[in-house]
Amino acid sequence: MLISYAWLGRHIDLDGLDVDEVARLLTLHTAEVEGVERVAPHLDQVIVGYVAAREKHPDADKLNICTVDVGDGEPLQIVCGAPNVDAGQKVAVAKIGTMLPGDFKIKKSKIRGVESRGMICSVKELELGDEHDGIWVLDPEAEIAKPVAAALGMIDWAIEIDNKAITHRPDLWGHRGFARELAAITGRALRPLDLSLPSTGTARSVPVSIESKSCSRYIALEIEGLKPATTPAWMRQLLLAVGQRPIELSVDVSNFVMLDLGQPNHLFDRSKIGSDGIGVRDAREGEKLRTLDGVDRTLSSEDVLITSGDEPIAIGGVMGGEESMVAAGTNAMLLEVASFHPTVIRRTATRLGLRTDASTRFEKTLDPTLPMQAAAHLVRTLSDIVGGLELPSAATDVGDWQDPSSVIELRPDRLRKLLGAPITDDEIRSYLESLGFQVGRVEEFGWLRTHSPTRVAEVGATLGGAAGIAERLAELGRQIDTLSLTPADIAEIRNRLESYGIGVGDLSSMSVSVPSFRATKDITIEVDLIEEVGRLYGLTRIEEQALVVSAKPVARDRRRQMVRAIQDRLAGGARFHEVLTYSFLPEELAQKTGVADEAYVEVVNAVSEGWNRVRRSVAPSLLGLLENNLRHRDDVRLFEVGKGYLPADAEHPGDRGQPRQRHEVALVWGAPKPGKKARFDADRLSALKAVVEDLCGSLGVELTWRAVEDERPAWAHPARRLVGGVEHKKEFTELCFLSSIDPRVARALGVSADVAIGTVSIDALVELPDPGSRYTPLPKFPGIKIDVALAVPEALPAAEVVLAIEAAGKGLVKEIKLFDLYRGEQVGEGRKSLAYHVLLQSQAKTLTDKEAQKFLQRLERGVEKHSGELRRE
Amino acid sequence: MDANFDQLDELREAGLARVHAAADSDALRLVEREFLEKGGVVAALLAEIPKLAPEKRREGGQGANQLKTAIQNAIGEKREALLEASLMVEAGGGSFDPTLPAAPMERGSLHPITQVTREVEEIFQSMGYTVLDGPEVELDFYNFQALNIPADHPAREHQDTFWCDHEQNLVLRTQTSPVQIRAMETLEPPFRVIVPGRVFRNEALDATHEHTFHQVEGLVVGEDINVGQLIGTLKSFLTEVFQKETDVRLRPGFFPFVEPGFEVDIRCPFCDTGCKVCSDTTWVEYCGCGMVHPNVLRAGGIDSERWSAFAFGMGLDRLVMMRNKIDDLRQFMGGDLRFLEQF
Repeated sequence: MLISYAWLGRHIDLDGLDVDEVARLLTLHTAEVEGVERVAPHLDQVIVGYVAAREKHPDADKLNICTVDVGDGEPLQIVCGAPNVDAGQKVAVAKIGTMLPGDFKIKKSKIRGVESRGMICSVKELELGDEHDGIWVLDPEAEIAKPVAAALGMIDWAIEIDNKAITHRPDLWGHRGFARELAAITGRALRPLDLSLPSTGTARSVPVSIESKSCSRYIALEIEGLKPATTPAWMRQLLLAVGQRPIELSVDVSNFVMLDLGQPNHLFDRSKIGSDGIGVRDAREGEKLRTLDGVDRTLSSEDVLITSGDEPIAIGGVMGGEESMVAAGTNAMLLEVASFHPTVIRRTATRLGLRTDASTRFEKTLDPTLPMQAAAHLVRTLSDIVGGLELPSAATDVGDWQDPSSVIELRPDRLRKLLGAPITDDEIRSYLESLGFQVGRVEEFGWLRTHSPTRVAEVGATLGGAAGIAERLAELGRQIDTLSLTPADIAEIRNRLESYGIGVGDLSSMSVSVPSFRATKDITIEVDLIEEVGRLYGLTRIEEQALVVSAKPVARDRRRQMVRAIQDRLAGGARFHEVLTYSFLPEELAQKTGVADEAYVEVVNAVSEGWNRVRRSVAPSLLGLLENNLRHRDDVRLFEVGKGYLPADAEHPGDRGQPRQRHEVALVWGAPKPGKKARFDADRLSALKAVVEDLCGSLGVELTWRAVEDERPAWAHPARRLVGGVEHKKEFTELCFLSSIDPRVARALGVSADVAIGTVSIDALVELPDPGSRYTPLPKFPGIKIDVALAVPEALPAAEVVLAIEAAGKGLVKEIKLFDLYRGEQVGEGRKSLAYHVLLQSQAKTLTDKEAQKFLQRLERGVEKHSGELRRE
Repeated sequence: MDANFDQLDELREAGLARVHAAADSDALRLVEREFLEKGGVVAALLAEIPKLAPEKRREGGQGANQLKTAIQNAIGEKREALLEASLMVEAGGGSFDPTLPAAPMERGSLHPITQVTREVEEIFQSMGYTVLDGPEVELDFYNFQALNIPADHPAREHQDTFWCDHEQNLVLRTQTSPVQIRAMETLEPPFRVIVPGRVFRNEALDATHEHTFHQVEGLVVGEDINVGQLIGTLKSFLTEVFQKETDVRLRPGFFPFVEPGFEVDIRCPFCDTGCKVCSDTTWVEYCGCGMVHPNVLRAGGIDSERWSAFAFGMGLDRLVMMRNKIDDLRQFMGGDLRFLEQF
């Protein structure tokens, strides 16, 4: 919102307070000022000139050749087309080189053969109004050669206030509110303003009936005898300074009052209101009204309508109708000043896309006592301009509203404790009074006095005292209520309270009366008052204090430690890059990765089309990053630690319908496909398996791998997939899932690389028991290394072969490492050869060749059971 | 060569000269063989000793041994010198080029938000704070109602909040503050916690607006917690983050869950007299904070008469942007490795 510096000057003496200081004070004490801008800065360039002579242009009827004295020596010859230009006028002159609004630079020119050295400006050209039927004729007293701004006292600044900073302050949506703040901050007086309604005639008042719950007060006042007049320059300037275009006198005054006091109001053409008077009712679904901006609006039953008879004439709190609006020349008007329900107005304005100055203010819960003051202000302001008005009938003032003024107990000790500042009782009083609060004296047990016994009993109960304390306090409340305490009683109470750790100081309080303009929303409890005092005292005066830390160590969080270890391991040894992706899975990516059919948590108001889906798993999001990154490098390794969400269902209803959260790390590795002669484990899935084994190993988890037969994520290769987990007492706990990408998904994603995907459940990892120490004593005796090659049927899993080797070793096998996988002529069709380095070692003795031979014999027999054979070269 | 005891000096000179002249290890080997090995000069001299007069034998023996030692040492030195020279051949015009690139070993990387989050966690942990986590799909109760944002509050309007159902029971949390309530429900005062995490606002994307960003929330509940301590806490934290004494300035600010509520400006960490970051004001708007509203304490089951509390919330993305002079917020969630690998 824009506040005019000059406008503030109508309410408070600004002597010695320049605009930057005003902005600084408001920012530090009231609300953030986002910027200060000089109003109409071009008026510093445009100067006052005197039209010394005017002659007709020889070649053009409508043009005049003016000789303009601008103070410095030779007068300027300026060609001017305005019909109203004449000798003897003071005018606004833009000399050559002057920049006018709209980046319009004045240049020397020839008009129909006559040289022109500058321009005599109209109001419109200077963006001071819409009049363009002639040049702007200045006050005859204006000093020649002076900039127009200085000569006419048109120096002003627009102070831009952050709207978010005043959403809770209905009193700050007008200049007087800010002036009141400034007065309180600087200790200056707010200039008095007569807000009493002048006396009215005795004619029958306009009847008003309110049938809508959304309107709590409606004042209607007839105004007549409006003599034709234009808006005075001072008012035009103020309106322009805050971006309000002057229109015509009555409308300008209406706007002026709104911007001055913060109370929207509306003027109807009296002749358009029927004898039934004004009605206020909820609109009917689909009802239509053309608003004064010329747009036909379709209304809903949530909107409030102002009607004449039953005929809509305005959307309550938002905008008037075109039909009934006032225009220049209207001399009988009906003034509306009302109170509307903030939420209703906001909804209407939002739904119609029609946020007006009025609706913005009504949304803030305006002071319901303000309408009558605003009505008076409008009548007085208009009357001052045109020199008298007629108010033929008394104002109609109907509605169901209450003065929100309230009384709050403020404990000065509590205030000092909460702010951590030594503010005296007297300072507290004076700050609050300067803001319009009334403050009583400090009373020793005031805090209890104004609390009902029930509330006091509640306080007693929450203090956790012994059984008697609640009743005792309740009793106390009643006693203090009647103010029948003797000094002995007070001493007794004090002792008792202190024995329960209640500081008696905290019970002394002052009664603070909250004025209605602060009581609608903002100031309702004690801390609200503490805030008022704090900001006026000066937040920058509060000194920093140490927060003493107890020496207890902060509990360690296993999940957090684990996440950190995972990130470090993957970004470190595994050389993966950590990414963060959106929690939304865009529809297009859901389609491409094949997960579009899965149930998901739906965002009902997505940021853009197709962004409704909250992801279930992090993996598809990572797949979406492959194509772009593979364009810049061959080897792309990504991981993200993140959360996915599974909607609540019958089986997992969740806390109040909250979805299940899945905390996981997802990994994606894309690299060129291995060549024909590459080693058996050169593919991404093998490589990713090694990364995940290493990752889990570093967390003390030895993984066992299994094939998966059950459902798979749609992006997983139907065959090339596996789960890893731990086996404990025959119970398998699944921790991770790995797969190659489904080639169809890869194609949809535009990826031709070899891609492996993995997810590791952090939830499952955190649940595992602590692995404990993994230390085993170093071997005391040398071991024997044996290489074995076993030809087995293709269908036999390598894990079975490993089991056979272990069985043959009878506890002596310390290491088994696969070093070759061969398929071909030498082993025959449908068979494969697995070659291992095996280490046999005993903790009890040095092994001999005899034991090695026995191992091989047992192994030979062992694999024969699987139709395999020990290959000997 | 004749073994002649009268010519020991000449023999030595001749031997040393040949060692000296040896151009390579083969030449050196030849000298070694001629002088020191079987059938060589020294052996011949030693063989002559029995033929000498008894009183000369001792002298002769010494002379022969000295000759042997001298030649042996010279050969040893020369051999070292030749080896050194042969190794040096690789340098300076040889095959070794110190500027050739090594076999590339790509680094992995941690996301800049992760890095800054860790830093912030470490600072607060050292100040006695516990780090908490909370759900991103949150109940309206925790995200709004319990935070003193009732049903008709403008902050809930559709333009700000992502709703996950039409009944407006579930939201994507718009702030990390709901975890304040969750903390109050589970922890016994006094306590101090921080909550880093991802939050969501329904805003159209551009260089300075994201619908997904990261915050850290702080909450301290205790007896006699006050604004002075809040200022002290923020100053200590910021001084640590920027590694520079950082002044803060509190201004009135409106957040429904605190009262009094403040906006915090910090002294621009990048200049003393005004720069682009601070728009020439030397102050940078940094975070919001305040004393926790009694309604919020009550919603969390904490007696607001006995306990008081302060809370603060700040953006982590902004911190990274400020420090690295990053001008496009979208890069954080964009997943482009050319951006991420720089951190």
